[in-house]
Amino acid sequence: MAVEPLYNALSAIKTLRSNVAVAFESLGNGIRSDHGEDGKETKFLLELQDQLTVVNNNLRDVEQSIGNLQPPHNPFSLGNSGYLSHEYSHDRQALYSQLVLSYKWTDKVHEYCNLAHAQLSQNSLTRSYTNTASAKRRRVQTSSHNVPPHAVDKVITQIDRLLPEMSVSITRPFATNVVLHVSVGRVLRAIIAFKGLLIEWIIVKGFMESLDLWTESRFKVFRKVTENAHAAVMRFYMPPMPEVSVKSFMTWLHSFNTLFSDTCKGCGLHLRNAMPPTWREFRTLEPYHEECKP
Amino acid sequence: MILMPNFGVVVAGPPRTVHLLNNSEQPATVFSILESGQKQVPLVSDPLFMDLMKKLASVYTGKQQTRMEAKGPRFEVADFLVKLGTVTMNQNFKGVLVEVEYRPCVVPAYCWELIREFMQGFLGTCAPAQAPVYLQNRMQEIYQPLDTIQQYLEQFREYRKAVTVR
Ligand SMILES: [Zn+2]
Repeated sequence: MAVEPLYNALSAIKTLRSNVAVAFESLGNGIRSDHGEDGKETKFLLELQDQLTVVNNNLRDVEQSIGNLQPPHNPFSLGNSGYLSHEYSHDRQALYSQLVLSYKWTDKVHEYCNLAHAQLSQNSLTRSYTNTASAKRRRVQTSSHNVPPHAVDKVITQIDRLLPEMSVSITRPFATNVVLHVSVGRVLRAIIAFKGLLIEWIIVKGFMESLDLWTESRFKVFRKVTENAHAAVMRFYMPPMPEVSVKSFMTWLHSFNTLFSDTCKGCGLHLRNAMPPTWREFRTLEPYHEECKP
Repeated sequence: MILMPNFGVVVAGPPRTVHLLNNSEQPATVFSILESGQKQVPLVSDPLFMDLMKKLASVYTGKQQTRMEAKGPRFEVADFLVKLGTVTMNQNFKGVLVEVEYRPCVVPAYCWELIREFMQGFLGTCAPAQAPVYLQNRMQEIYQPLDTIQQYLEQFREYRKAVTVR
Protein backbone atom coordinates (compact mmCIF):
# COMPACT_ATOMS: atom_id res chain seq x y z
CA MET A 1 0.00 0.00 0.00
CA ALA A 2 1.29 3.46 -0.87
CA VAL A 3 2.16 5.58 2.15
CA GLU A 4 1.90 9.02 0.57
CA PRO A 5 -1.97 9.28 0.37
CA LEU A 6 -2.22 7.99 3.93
CA TYR A 7 0.16 10.70 5.06
CA ASN A 8 -1.87 13.38 3.23
CA ALA A 9 -5.10 12.12 4.77
CA LEU A 10 -3.60 12.18 8.25
CA SER A 11 -2.32 15.75 7.89
CA ALA A 12 -5.69 16.85 6.43
CA ILE A 13 -7.42 15.45 9.52
CA LYS A 14 -4.92 17.26 11.73
CA THR A 15 -5.65 20.58 10.01
CA LEU A 16 -9.40 19.97 10.27
CA ARG A 17 -9.20 19.24 13.98
CA SER A 18 -7.11 22.31 14.71
CA ASN A 19 -9.43 24.65 12.76
CA VAL A 20 -12.54 23.16 14.38
CA ALA A 21 -10.90 23.82 17.73
CA VAL A 22 -10.27 27.46 16.72
CA ALA A 23 -13.91 27.90 15.62
CA PHE A 24 -15.31 26.44 18.83
CA GLU A 25 -12.94 28.51 20.92
CA SER A 26 -14.05 31.79 19.40
CA LEU A 27 -17.69 30.66 19.66
CA GLY A 28 -17.14 29.81 23.34
CA ASN A 29 -15.47 33.15 24.07
CA GLY A 30 -18.33 35.07 22.48
CA ILE A 31 -17.95 38.76 21.63
CA ARG A 32 -14.54 40.11 22.61
CA SER A 33 -13.30 43.63 23.24
CA ASP A 34 -11.34 43.74 19.98
CA HIS A 35 -14.63 43.58 18.07
CA GLY A 36 -15.13 47.23 19.13
CA GLU A 37 -18.42 48.81 20.01
CA ASP A 38 -20.07 49.44 16.63
CA GLY A 39 -21.80 46.48 15.07
CA LYS A 40 -19.94 44.05 17.24
CA GLU A 41 -22.53 41.29 16.70
CA THR A 42 -22.16 41.52 12.90
CA LYS A 43 -18.37 41.43 13.19
CA PHE A 44 -18.52 38.42 15.46
CA LEU A 45 -20.90 36.59 13.11
CA LEU A 46 -18.69 37.38 10.10
CA GLU A 47 -15.65 36.05 11.91
CA LEU A 48 -17.47 32.88 12.84
CA GLN A 49 -18.70 32.48 9.30
CA ASP A 50 -15.12 32.74 7.96
CA GLN A 51 -13.93 30.16 10.40
CA LEU A 52 -16.76 27.78 9.50
CA THR A 53 -15.93 28.20 5.81
CA VAL A 54 -12.34 27.21 6.56
CA VAL A 55 -13.62 24.18 8.48
CA ASN A 56 -15.86 23.32 5.55
CA ASN A 57 -12.95 23.50 3.15
CA ASN A 58 -10.84 21.36 5.48
CA LEU A 59 -13.61 18.79 5.67
CA ARG A 60 -13.74 18.64 1.91
CA ASP A 61 -9.98 18.09 1.80
CA VAL A 62 -10.31 15.25 4.28
CA GLU A 63 -13.07 13.60 2.29
CA GLN A 64 -11.08 13.97 -0.88
CA SER A 65 -7.91 12.47 0.58
CA ILE A 66 -9.90 9.60 2.08
CA GLY A 67 -11.34 8.98 -1.35
CA ASN A 68 -7.78 8.59 -2.60
CA LEU A 69 -7.07 5.83 -0.10
CA GLN A 70 -7.40 2.22 -1.15
CA PRO A 71 -8.94 -0.02 1.45
CA PRO A 72 -6.71 -3.03 2.26
CA HIS A 73 -7.78 -6.20 0.48
CA ASN A 74 -7.92 -8.33 3.58
CA PRO A 75 -8.09 -7.52 7.28
CA PHE A 76 -4.69 -6.83 8.81
CA SER A 77 -3.30 -9.84 10.53
CA LEU A 78 -1.44 -8.54 13.53
CA GLY A 79 -0.48 -11.98 14.75
CA ASN A 80 0.23 -12.15 18.43
CA SER A 81 0.71 -8.41 18.65
CA GLY A 82 -3.09 -8.13 18.31
CA TYR A 83 -3.33 -9.22 21.94
CA LEU A 84 -1.50 -6.09 22.97
CA SER A 85 -4.79 -4.20 22.92
CA HIS A 86 -6.02 -6.36 25.81
CA GLU A 87 -3.51 -4.78 28.12
CA TYR A 88 -4.85 -1.58 29.69
CA SER A 89 -1.70 0.18 30.71
CA HIS A 90 0.47 0.36 27.64
CA ASP A 91 3.43 1.73 29.54
CA ARG A 92 3.79 -1.50 31.42
CA GLN A 93 4.79 -3.51 28.38
CA ALA A 94 7.58 -1.38 26.95
CA LEU A 95 6.90 -3.28 23.76
CA TYR A 96 6.08 -0.42 21.50
CA SER A 97 9.63 0.67 20.75
CA GLN A 98 10.67 -2.91 20.20
CA LEU A 99 7.79 -3.46 17.82
CA VAL A 100 8.75 -0.38 15.88
CA LEU A 101 12.36 -1.55 15.72
CA SER A 102 11.46 -5.01 14.51
CA TYR A 103 9.05 -3.53 12.02
CA LYS A 104 11.82 -1.37 10.62
CA TRP A 105 14.09 -4.38 10.56
CA THR A 106 11.65 -6.59 8.66
CA ASP A 107 10.98 -3.73 6.33
CA LYS A 108 14.69 -3.53 5.57
CA VAL A 109 14.87 -7.31 5.12
CA HIS A 110 12.01 -7.06 2.70
CA GLU A 111 13.79 -4.40 0.72
CA TYR A 112 17.05 -6.39 0.58
CA CYS A 113 15.13 -9.48 -0.41
CA ASN A 114 13.63 -7.67 -3.34
CA LEU A 115 17.07 -6.53 -4.45
CA ALA A 116 18.51 -10.01 -3.98
CA HIS A 117 15.62 -11.52 -5.88
CA ALA A 118 16.21 -9.18 -8.79
CA GLN A 119 19.87 -10.20 -8.82
CA LEU A 120 19.31 -13.92 -8.40
CA SER A 121 16.60 -14.22 -11.00
CA GLN A 122 19.23 -13.32 -13.59
CA ASN A 123 21.38 -16.20 -12.43
CA SER A 124 20.83 -19.38 -14.36
CA LEU A 125 22.28 -21.54 -11.58
CA THR A 126 19.45 -20.75 -9.21
CA ARG A 127 18.29 -23.63 -7.06
CA SER A 128 14.82 -22.18 -6.43
CA TYR A 129 11.76 -22.24 -8.63
CA THR A 130 11.24 -18.48 -8.52
CA ASN A 131 11.42 -17.87 -12.26
CA THR A 132 9.28 -20.80 -13.29
CA ALA A 133 6.62 -19.73 -10.79
CA SER A 134 5.78 -16.66 -12.84
CA ALA A 135 5.24 -18.73 -15.97
CA LYS A 136 3.15 -21.42 -14.33
CA ARG A 137 1.69 -20.49 -11.01
CA ARG A 138 1.66 -23.38 -8.59
CA ARG A 139 -1.59 -24.16 -6.87
CA VAL A 140 -0.26 -24.96 -3.42
CA GLN A 141 2.40 -22.72 -2.04
CA THR A 142 4.14 -25.10 0.31
CA SER A 143 6.75 -23.59 2.51
CA SER A 144 9.76 -25.67 3.40
CA HIS A 145 11.27 -23.33 5.95
CA ASN A 146 8.20 -22.56 8.02
CA VAL A 147 7.06 -25.95 9.24
CA PRO A 148 5.65 -26.63 12.72
CA PRO A 149 8.18 -28.43 14.97
CA HIS A 150 6.08 -31.57 15.44
CA ALA A 151 5.87 -32.05 11.67
CA VAL A 152 9.66 -31.79 11.42
CA ASP A 153 10.06 -34.30 14.26
CA LYS A 154 7.70 -36.67 12.51
CA VAL A 155 9.61 -36.58 9.24
CA ILE A 156 12.95 -37.08 10.98
CA THR A 157 11.83 -39.99 13.17
CA GLN A 158 10.31 -41.62 10.11
CA ILE A 159 13.66 -41.41 8.33
CA ASP A 160 15.42 -42.68 11.45
CA ARG A 161 13.23 -45.79 11.44
CA LEU A 162 13.78 -46.33 7.74
CA LEU A 163 17.58 -46.38 7.82
CA PRO A 164 18.91 -49.14 10.07
CA GLU A 165 22.54 -48.06 10.41
CA MET A 166 21.70 -44.45 11.08
CA SER A 167 20.82 -43.00 14.45
CA VAL A 168 19.70 -39.43 14.93
CA SER A 169 19.07 -37.18 17.86
CA ILE A 170 17.10 -33.98 17.60
CA THR A 171 18.17 -30.85 19.46
CA ARG A 172 16.76 -27.37 19.31
CA PRO A 173 19.45 -25.04 20.61
CA PHE A 174 18.02 -22.05 18.72
CA ALA A 175 14.35 -22.05 19.63
CA THR A 176 12.36 -23.80 16.92
CA ASN A 177 14.90 -24.93 14.37
CA VAL A 178 16.36 -28.40 14.56
CA VAL A 179 20.05 -29.18 14.81
CA LEU A 180 20.37 -32.86 14.06
CA HIS A 181 23.17 -35.10 15.30
CA VAL A 182 23.53 -38.12 13.05
CA SER A 183 25.79 -41.12 13.31
CA VAL A 184 26.14 -43.59 10.48
CA GLY A 185 27.31 -46.98 11.69
CA ARG A 186 30.64 -46.53 13.42
CA VAL A 187 31.99 -44.71 10.40
CA LEU A 188 30.99 -41.09 10.66
CA ARG A 189 29.03 -38.50 12.55
CA ALA A 190 27.33 -35.49 11.07
CA ILE A 191 25.68 -32.36 12.36
CA ILE A 192 22.88 -30.91 10.26
CA ALA A 193 21.24 -27.54 10.80
CA PHE A 194 17.67 -27.24 9.57
CA LYS A 195 15.48 -24.27 8.85
CA GLY A 196 12.08 -25.85 9.04
CA LEU A 197 12.57 -28.81 6.72
CA LEU A 198 15.24 -27.11 4.70
CA ILE A 199 18.80 -28.33 5.21
CA GLU A 200 20.92 -25.26 5.75
CA TRP A 201 24.29 -26.58 6.82
CA ILE A 202 26.08 -29.85 7.35
CA ILE A 203 29.45 -30.91 8.72
CA VAL A 204 30.63 -34.52 8.46
CA LYS A 205 33.30 -35.78 10.84
CA GLY A 206 34.93 -38.96 12.05
CA PHE A 207 33.12 -41.24 14.46
CA MET A 208 35.35 -40.29 17.41
CA GLU A 209 35.59 -36.58 16.63
CA SER A 210 33.62 -33.99 18.55
CA LEU A 211 30.79 -32.30 16.69
CA ASP A 212 29.97 -28.66 16.34
CA LEU A 213 28.58 -26.55 13.54
CA TRP A 214 31.72 -24.64 12.63
CA THR A 215 34.90 -26.72 12.82
CA GLU A 216 35.62 -29.13 10.02
CA SER A 217 37.10 -32.58 10.39
CA ARG A 218 40.79 -33.27 11.04
CA PHE A 219 40.66 -35.83 8.25
CA LYS A 220 40.84 -35.16 4.55
CA VAL A 221 38.33 -37.91 3.76
CA PHE A 222 35.58 -36.34 5.91
CA ARG A 223 36.30 -32.87 4.62
CA LYS A 224 35.75 -34.27 1.13
CA VAL A 225 32.53 -36.00 2.22
CA THR A 226 31.34 -32.71 3.77
CA GLU A 227 32.00 -30.97 0.46
CA ASN A 228 30.07 -33.65 -1.41
CA ALA A 229 27.26 -33.42 1.15
CA HIS A 230 26.86 -29.74 0.34
CA ALA A 231 26.56 -30.69 -3.32
CA ALA A 232 24.00 -33.35 -2.39
CA VAL A 233 21.91 -30.87 -0.38
CA MET A 234 21.66 -28.74 -3.52
CA ARG A 235 21.00 -31.73 -5.74
CA PHE A 236 18.14 -32.99 -3.58
CA TYR A 237 16.69 -29.54 -2.93
CA MET A 238 13.00 -29.59 -3.82
CA PRO A 239 10.91 -26.81 -2.24
CA PRO A 240 7.49 -28.26 -3.18
CA MET A 241 8.33 -31.58 -1.50
CA PRO A 242 10.62 -30.87 1.45
CA GLU A 243 10.09 -34.31 3.08
CA VAL A 244 11.22 -36.10 -0.06
CA SER A 245 14.22 -33.83 -0.26
CA VAL A 246 15.30 -34.55 3.33
CA LYS A 247 14.63 -38.27 2.91
CA SER A 248 16.68 -38.57 -0.28
CA PHE A 249 19.52 -36.69 1.33
CA MET A 250 19.54 -38.88 4.43
CA THR A 251 19.46 -42.04 2.32
CA TRP A 252 22.41 -40.69 0.40
CA LEU A 253 24.29 -39.96 3.65
CA HIS A 254 23.41 -43.41 4.97
CA SER A 255 25.25 -44.99 2.03
CA PHE A 256 28.54 -43.78 3.55
CA ASN A 257 28.13 -46.62 6.03
CA THR A 258 30.53 -48.51 3.76
CA LEU A 259 32.87 -45.58 3.10
CA PHE A 260 35.99 -47.55 4.05
CA SER A 261 35.02 -51.00 2.80
CA ASP A 262 33.57 -50.13 -0.64
CA THR A 263 35.63 -50.38 -3.80
CA CYS A 264 35.19 -47.84 -6.56
CA LYS A 265 32.73 -48.72 -9.34
CA GLY A 266 35.02 -47.03 -11.82
CA CYS A 267 38.44 -48.56 -11.15
CA GLY A 268 37.57 -51.44 -8.81
CA LEU A 269 40.13 -50.37 -6.19
CA HIS A 270 39.85 -49.12 -2.62
CA LEU A 271 42.28 -46.27 -2.99
CA ARG A 272 43.12 -43.58 -5.45
CA ASN A 273 45.54 -40.85 -4.36
CA ALA A 274 45.39 -42.52 -0.94
CA MET A 275 41.68 -41.71 -0.64
CA PRO A 276 38.72 -44.11 -0.53
CA PRO A 277 35.68 -43.60 -2.83
CA THR A 278 34.16 -40.42 -1.36
CA TRP A 279 31.57 -39.86 -4.06
CA ARG A 280 28.16 -41.54 -4.12
CA GLU A 281 26.02 -41.35 -7.23
CA PHE A 282 22.84 -39.46 -6.34
CA ARG A 283 20.42 -41.93 -7.87
CA THR A 284 22.15 -45.31 -7.59
CA LEU A 285 24.32 -44.53 -4.51
CA GLU A 286 27.21 -46.31 -6.23
CA PRO A 287 30.66 -45.45 -4.81
CA TYR A 288 33.24 -43.69 -6.94
CA HIS A 289 36.55 -41.98 -6.37
CA GLU A 290 36.61 -38.25 -6.84
CA GLU A 291 38.71 -38.81 -9.99
CA CYS A 292 36.61 -41.73 -11.30
CA LYS A 293 33.11 -40.31 -11.02
CA PRO A 294 31.15 -40.47 -14.28
CA MET B 1 59.31 -43.76 18.78
CA ILE B 2 58.39 -46.62 21.03
CA LEU B 3 60.41 -47.20 24.16
CA MET B 4 60.18 -50.32 26.19
CA PRO B 5 62.25 -50.48 29.32
CA ASN B 6 61.43 -53.78 30.89
CA PHE B 7 61.09 -54.46 34.57
CA GLY B 8 61.11 -57.81 36.28
CA VAL B 9 58.73 -57.69 39.17
CA VAL B 10 58.66 -60.13 42.04
CA VAL B 11 55.56 -60.21 44.11
CA ALA B 12 54.51 -63.07 46.36
CA GLY B 13 53.78 -65.90 43.99
CA PRO B 14 55.02 -66.46 40.45
CA PRO B 15 57.19 -63.73 38.92
CA ARG B 16 55.43 -61.16 36.84
CA THR B 17 56.70 -58.82 34.21
CA VAL B 18 55.73 -55.22 33.69
CA HIS B 19 56.26 -53.69 30.28
CA LEU B 20 56.40 -49.95 30.26
CA LEU B 21 55.84 -48.35 26.90
CA ASN B 22 55.88 -44.85 25.47
CA ASN B 23 54.56 -43.74 22.13
CA SER B 24 55.63 -40.39 20.69
CA GLU B 25 52.11 -40.05 19.20
CA GLN B 26 50.79 -39.79 22.77
CA PRO B 27 53.72 -38.08 24.53
CA ALA B 28 51.79 -37.43 27.73
CA THR B 29 50.81 -41.06 28.29
CA VAL B 30 52.60 -44.08 29.69
CA PHE B 31 51.25 -47.48 28.83
CA SER B 32 52.08 -50.34 31.16
CA ILE B 33 51.16 -53.94 30.66
CA LEU B 34 51.47 -56.37 33.55
CA GLU B 35 51.87 -59.98 32.56
CA SER B 36 51.05 -62.76 34.95
CA GLY B 37 50.73 -66.15 33.33
CA GLN B 38 48.16 -66.00 30.56
CA LYS B 39 46.56 -62.86 31.91
CA GLN B 40 47.44 -59.31 30.93
CA VAL B 41 46.57 -56.18 32.82
CA PRO B 42 46.99 -53.01 30.77
CA LEU B 43 47.22 -49.62 32.43
CA VAL B 44 47.15 -46.21 30.78
CA SER B 45 48.57 -43.43 32.96
CA ASP B 46 50.44 -40.13 32.86
CA PRO B 47 54.28 -39.87 32.70
CA LEU B 48 54.67 -39.66 36.50
CA PHE B 49 54.03 -43.37 36.58
CA MET B 50 57.29 -43.94 34.68
CA ASP B 51 59.21 -41.98 37.35
CA LEU B 52 57.52 -44.00 40.05
CA MET B 53 58.55 -47.24 38.41
CA LYS B 54 62.16 -46.00 38.08
CA LYS B 55 62.19 -45.29 41.81
CA LEU B 56 60.85 -48.74 42.48
CA ALA B 57 63.33 -50.39 40.10
CA SER B 58 65.95 -50.71 42.85
CA VAL B 59 63.45 -52.49 45.07
CA TYR B 60 62.54 -55.04 42.47
CA THR B 61 64.93 -57.88 42.04
CA GLY B 62 65.14 -60.29 39.15
CA LYS B 63 65.70 -60.03 35.45
CA GLN B 64 67.88 -57.33 34.03
CA GLN B 65 66.13 -54.57 32.22
CA THR B 66 65.84 -54.78 28.47
CA ARG B 67 65.33 -51.60 26.59
CA MET B 68 63.79 -51.88 23.16
CA GLU B 69 63.20 -48.99 20.85
CA ALA B 70 61.65 -48.44 17.45
CA LYS B 71 62.71 -45.10 16.07
CA GLY B 72 62.49 -43.51 12.66
CA PRO B 73 60.77 -41.14 10.28
CA ARG B 74 57.04 -40.47 10.17
CA PHE B 75 55.08 -39.76 6.98
CA GLU B 76 51.57 -38.59 6.32
CA VAL B 77 49.87 -39.51 3.04
CA ALA B 78 46.37 -38.06 2.94
CA ASP B 79 44.85 -39.59 6.10
CA PHE B 80 47.37 -42.41 6.33
CA LEU B 81 50.14 -42.32 8.88
CA VAL B 82 53.25 -44.34 8.02
CA LYS B 83 56.11 -44.86 10.46
CA LEU B 84 59.35 -46.63 9.63
CA GLY B 85 60.98 -47.76 12.86
CA THR B 86 64.49 -49.10 13.28
CA VAL B 87 64.28 -51.60 16.12
CA THR B 88 67.11 -51.74 18.61
CA MET B 89 67.43 -53.91 21.71
CA ASN B 90 69.87 -52.46 24.23
CA GLN B 91 71.31 -50.45 21.35
CA ASN B 92 71.77 -53.47 19.05
CA PHE B 93 70.05 -53.29 15.68
CA LYS B 94 67.31 -55.89 15.33
CA GLY B 95 65.24 -55.01 12.28
CA VAL B 96 62.76 -52.57 10.79
CA LEU B 97 59.08 -52.20 11.67
CA VAL B 98 56.58 -50.53 9.37
CA GLU B 99 53.50 -49.09 11.02
CA VAL B 100 50.54 -48.04 8.89
CA GLU B 101 47.57 -46.34 10.48
CA TYR B 102 44.44 -45.16 8.71
CA ARG B 103 43.29 -42.57 11.18
CA PRO B 104 39.73 -41.67 10.07
CA CYS B 105 38.47 -45.22 10.62
CA VAL B 106 37.96 -46.53 14.14
CA VAL B 107 36.85 -50.10 13.43
CA PRO B 108 39.69 -52.28 12.01
CA ALA B 109 37.34 -54.63 10.14
CA TYR B 110 35.97 -51.73 8.04
CA CYS B 111 39.32 -50.62 6.67
CA TRP B 112 41.59 -53.70 6.77
CA GLU B 113 41.25 -54.32 3.02
CA LEU B 114 41.93 -50.66 2.33
CA ILE B 115 45.06 -50.68 4.50
CA ARG B 116 46.23 -53.89 2.82
CA GLU B 117 45.84 -52.28 -0.60
CA PHE B 118 47.80 -49.28 0.65
CA MET B 119 50.64 -51.47 1.98
CA GLN B 120 50.77 -53.48 -1.23
CA GLY B 121 51.38 -50.20 -2.98
CA PHE B 122 54.82 -49.74 -1.42
CA LEU B 123 55.69 -53.12 0.13
CA GLY B 124 54.58 -55.29 -2.80
CA THR B 125 54.55 -58.95 -1.84
CA CYS B 126 56.00 -58.18 1.59
CA ALA B 127 52.63 -56.79 2.62
CA PRO B 128 50.87 -59.11 5.06
CA ALA B 129 47.82 -61.00 3.83
CA GLN B 130 46.30 -61.28 7.28
CA ALA B 131 45.70 -58.73 9.98
CA PRO B 132 48.12 -58.93 12.94
CA VAL B 133 47.27 -61.72 15.40
CA TYR B 134 46.53 -59.27 18.17
CA LEU B 135 43.92 -57.50 16.03
CA GLN B 136 42.25 -60.60 14.65
CA ASN B 137 40.03 -61.04 17.71
CA ARG B 138 39.33 -57.34 17.91
CA MET B 139 38.43 -56.50 14.31
CA GLN B 140 34.92 -55.29 15.23
CA GLU B 141 35.97 -53.25 18.25
CA ILE B 142 36.81 -49.57 18.38
CA TYR B 143 40.54 -49.03 17.95
CA GLN B 144 42.45 -47.30 20.75
CA PRO B 145 46.03 -46.10 21.24
CA LEU B 146 46.59 -49.07 23.54
CA ASP B 147 45.98 -51.38 20.57
CA THR B 148 48.97 -49.87 18.78
CA ILE B 149 51.08 -50.44 21.89
CA GLN B 150 49.94 -54.06 22.15
CA GLN B 151 50.96 -54.67 18.55
CA TYR B 152 54.41 -53.21 19.16
CA LEU B 153 54.73 -55.39 22.23
CA GLU B 154 53.78 -58.40 20.11
CA GLN B 155 56.52 -57.50 17.60
CA PHE B 156 59.13 -56.80 20.29
CA ARG B 157 58.42 -60.20 21.82
CA GLU B 158 59.14 -61.83 18.46
CA TYR B 159 62.51 -60.05 18.29
CA ARG B 160 63.44 -61.20 21.78
CA LYS B 161 62.43 -64.80 21.08
CA ALA B 162 64.73 -64.70 18.06
CA VAL B 163 67.57 -63.82 20.44
CA THR B 164 67.00 -66.73 22.80
CA VAL B 165 66.89 -69.20 19.91
CA ARG B 166 70.22 -68.05 18.57
ZN1 LIG C 1 38.12 -45.29 -8.70
